Amino acid sequence: MEIKSKIKWSEYNKEIAEDHFFFLRSCIRQNFNPGAEKAFISILKNNLKKDIFDDARHTTCTGIGYHTDIVPFETMQTMIARQFSLMTEKGYKNCAVSCITSFGSYNEILSTWKEFPEELAKTRDYLKKATGREFEIPENLSHGCDIIYKFRKEIAAQSNYKLINIETGEPLKIVDHIGCHYSKIFPEKGVGGFEYSKVLTEMIQAWGGQPVDYPERRHCCGFGFRQYLVKSNRSYSISNSRKKFESMEPFKPDAIITNCPGCNMFLDRWQYTLAQIEGKTYGGGTNGIPVFSYEELAGLILGYDPWKLGLQMHQVDVEPFLKKIGVRYDPELKFVGINGKYINEPLFTGCLK
Amino acid sequence: MYSEIIKNLKTDVRLTEALQACMNCGICTAVCPAAEFYEYDPRSIAVSVQSENREKIIDLLESDTIWYCGQCMSCKTRCPRNNCSGLIISVLRKLSQETGAFTKSRMGRQQYLILKTIGNNILSRGYCIHPTTVVPETHPEQGPVWKWIYENMHDVYAVVGANLDCDGPGTMRKINSIDLNELNNIFIVSGGMKFFDTINHFSKLKAIEMGMVDEYGEADMEKYTQYLLQE
Amino acid sequence: MIKNKHVAIIGGGIAGMEAAAVLAKQGLKVTLIEKEAITGGKLNDWHHLFPDFFSPKTVIDNLIAKTNHSGVNVVYNTEISKIEKLNGRFELSDERDTKFYSDAVIIASGFRLFDATLKEEYGYGIFDNVITSVDFEKLMKTEGKLLTAQKTEPKRIAIIHCVGSRDAKTGNTYCSKVCCITGIKQAIEINKILPDSEIYCFYMDLRLYGLNFDSLYLHAQKQHKIQFIRGRLSEIAERFDKSLQLKTEDTLQGRPLRINVDTVILLIGMEPGASNNLFTKNNKVTIDENGFMKPINMHENRNSSTHDGIFLAGTVICPMAVNESIENARAAAFEVISYLEKNKL
Repeated sequence: MEIKSKIKWSEYNKEIAEDHFFFLRSCIRQNFNPGAEKAFISILKNNLKKDIFDDARHTTCTGIGYHTDIVPFETMQTMIARQFSLMTEKGYKNCAVSCITSFGSYNEILSTWKEFPEELAKTRDYLKKATGREFEIPENLSHGCDIIYKFRKEIAAQSNYKLINIETGEPLKIVDHIGCHYSKIFPEKGVGGFEYSKVLTEMIQAWGGQPVDYPERRHCCGFGFRQYLVKSNRSYSISNSRKKFESMEPFKPDAIITNCPGCNMFLDRWQYTLAQIEGKTYGGGTNGIPVFSYEELAGLILGYDPWKLGLQMHQVDVEPFLKKIGVRYDPELKFVGINGKYINEPLFTGCLK
Repeated sequence: MYSEIIKNLKTDVRLTEALQACMNCGICTAVCPAAEFYEYDPRSIAVSVQSENREKIIDLLESDTIWYCGQCMSCKTRCPRNNCSGLIISVLRKLSQETGAFTKSRMGRQQYLILKTIGNNILSRGYCIHPTTVVPETHPEQGPVWKWIYENMHDVYAVVGANLDCDGPGTMRKINSIDLNELNNIFIVSGGMKFFDTINHFSKLKAIEMGMVDEYGEADMEKYTQYLLQE
Repeated sequence: MIKNKHVAIIGGGIAGMEAAAVLAKQGLKVTLIEKEAITGGKLNDWHHLFPDFFSPKTVIDNLIAKTNHSGVNVVYNTEISKIEKLNGRFELSDERDTKFYSDAVIIASGFRLFDATLKEEYGYGIFDNVITSVDFEKLMKTEGKLLTAQKTEPKRIAIIHCVGSRDAKTGNTYCSKVCCITGIKQAIEINKILPDSEIYCFYMDLRLYGLNFDSLYLHAQKQHKIQFIRGRLSEIAERFDKSLQLKTEDTLQGRPLRINVDTVILLIGMEPGASNNLFTKNNKVTIDENGFMKPINMHENRNSSTHDGIFLAGTVICPMAVNESIENARAAAFEVISYLEKNKL
C-alpha cells in the first residue's frame, strides 16, 4: 500500500533541462523589459554556450486572456499546442518559458492532458483542423529563472561584479518576489516548491548577496489580471503592492528580485505611484527600492551594459544599486536614442522629484 | 437562460480539479488578496458551488462577487483538500458569460472592456499587450519614464536590442500574417471566436436595454464603452 | 499450560508496559523490548495530562512498578525490525541480528510525532518563536516557564490546531483526536503562568470527545479568557521585531484575519510509527490507508492484527489518549491469553 510521501519542499529539486531550449517569450516582459529577454538569450548563448532557439512564428499563449476570462480553456490549450508544434517542427524537446503566467498555463494544460486524455485528443483535433499541425509534448518545460538558477554558479564564475557593497564589503540585502503562478498552483514545478522557493534566493547567494525574508513575501503583487487591466479596479493592484512594500520596508533591502515579468514592472511602477499619493518612498529618500528580474541581475553581474539591459526603462533609478556593487556605466548614455542621438529625457526618474 | 446550469457547471473538467469537497476551514480566505480588499470570501464560493443550490449559483453568476478574484491561486497552495477557489471562479465566470449573466453586474460588464483591449490585441497583433496600447493618459501609474518610452518608442526599443514591429525573430517583433491566420483559425475552431461573439452579443443587448442606441436602433457600443469606463 | 508460553512485546511505552504487566501477572513469560534506554516512551517528555492535569510521571512510575513486580523481562536499547513465523513460533530480530522467540507477539511500538518542519508555511525550525505542543510540554517540565526567543514574556500566544492532521498537503487526512483537548489544556497552563497574556486558539473543529473535555473548554473560556477563533491557520511569517504575523480567516465573521503574536504553539498530530512498514514484511501484518496497523475488525477485535498470533496495542492502531492506550493494552493482553489457550495443544 502506498503511503503518501512526505516532502520537505524547500529541499525539493525539480528537473531542469541542460541544453537545447525552445524559447517562449512573454507579452509583458517584451513590452516593459525587452532588454531582459534579449539578455537571457545572450547569457545562454554567449556566457553558458547553450543552444536556444528563438522562433519568430510563436505568439502569445493567451494566458492573460485566459485569466481575464475572455479566452476559453480549449482555445488556450490549442494555442499552447501550436507553440509545441513549432517546437516539435524545429526538433526541440525542451521549452524555456519567459513568462510566469505562461509557465502556469503550460503546466495547468500539461497536467490536464495527463489527467483527462480526452482533452489532449480534443486539442490535437482542434489544432489539426485549424492549422494542419501536429505536436509532441515537451520532455522538459522550465521557466527562464529555473535555467539561470541551474547555471547560477557558472554565472558567478564568469561574473565581473558581486552582490557586495564595494565600500563596506557587506553582502547586499535582497528580497525576492516569486510570481504567483510559478509554483502556487503546482509546487512540484518550482525549485524548492512554493513556500520557501529557493530559485531566486540561491541565485542571490551564489552571486554574493544576502536573501532577506519579509512577512508578505508570498503575497501577490496585485496584478490580478482584470484588477489592473480595467482602470477602475486598479486600486486592488496598488493596495496589494503597498502591503508588500510596507512589509519589506523595515528590512531596508537594497533591491527586489523577481522572476515574473508582470511583478517586475508593477513593483517598479507602483512605488512611483504610491510615492505620488503618499509623499514618501519605501526605500528611504526619493528613489525607492530598485527592482530587477533574474536576467537583469545576471546580466549586470556578468558586466552587461545597464542601458543595453534596458534598466533605463525602470521608473526607480538603478544607479544607487550599480554604485553599490561597483558597476561601471556612463550616466550620459542612459537616455540616448539610436546611435547615441539625443531623444529627450523623462520628466523625472525615481519616485519623488 | 439558466436551464441546465448545474449540469453545465459540472461538465467543466476544471471543476473536477478545483473542488473535491470543502471543509469550510477558511485557509483560502486567509491569504486571499481579494478577500483583504473586497467583501469577498473564496471559502463561501466553494461552499455555494458545493451545495449545487441553483439560486445561490445564479446569484453568483449575476453578482460582482465572482469578478473580485485576482487569479493569483494562493488558495490552491494552502487548501488541506487540494481545492482551488480561483479555478472554481474561472468556471463560474465562463458560465456567467455564456449565459449573459455577466451584464447584470458592474464588474461583470467590464468583460466587454477587456475584450476590446486584450481580445483585440490577441487577434490583431498576436500579443496580449503591445506598447502602443499602454497609453500614458489612461495609465498615469506607469509614470514619467514610461511616458518617455512611449513617446520615443522606436528609439528606446531599438537601443535595448528589441525588434519592435519588424519582421524576423526578436523581442516585440511583428507577428506575420501567416501566424496570425493560424491564431485566428484556432480561435474559430476551438470556440474562442464564438466566446468573443457571445460577450459582444450580450453586451449589445445590455446597451440596448440601457437605451444606448444609434439612429437605426442598433446598440451604440462607443457610448456603452464610455459608460463602462465611468461606471 | 499456557504458563510456559512466551510473549514478546515490541515497545516499552505505556501500552507495552501495561500489556506486559498483565500477562506476566497471569504467569506468562514476557519479554518487553524497548528501543530506548528507558521505558515510558514519549510520555517521559510530558508535563501534565488532560483533562485533569494529572502527572504522567505517576503513570509511568506505577507501570514500572507493575512490570517489575510481575517479573517482566525488560530488554533496552533494542529496536525490532523483523517478525517472522518459523515452525509455529515467532522469531523477532533487530538490525544487529539479536533474536527473540515467542509464541505470540504484541506490537506496541506506538506513534511518531508529525515533523512540523514539513509544514513550511508555519515556520517551525525557521522562526525561533514557533514551537510545538511537545516542545511546550518539555519546556514546562524542565523550566516551568514560557519565554520568547528574545527572553521576554510573550504577551500574545497563538495555539494552532490540526498541524499535520486533516491535511492532504502533509499526507495525513485523519484526525489525531487528542490535539484539541491538549491545546485547551496548554492554553490554561499558559494563562496560569502568564495571567496578563492574550491566548488564542485557532481551530477548524473542536473535537472534544471525552467526558469533561467540554467542561474544560468552558473553563478555559470563562476562567482563563482563552479566545477561540474558528479558522484554519494559513501562514506564519516573522516580522522585523521577531514577532510573528499570522493569517487566518475568522470564518464565523467571514473576514480574513491578520494578527501579530509573540509565540506560536503548533499542536502536532500523531503519525504511524516508522517501523510499521517494516513489520508488514515476512508476515501477513498489514497497515491501513493512513499507515497505522490494521486490526482484523475495528469494532469487535481491534487488538488482533491480520496475522494470527500477532497482536496490536495502543497508538500503533490509531491516535489514542493515555487512558485509552492503557485500556487497549489490557484488552490486547486478554486477546493474547485467549489465543494461547485456543492454541495450547
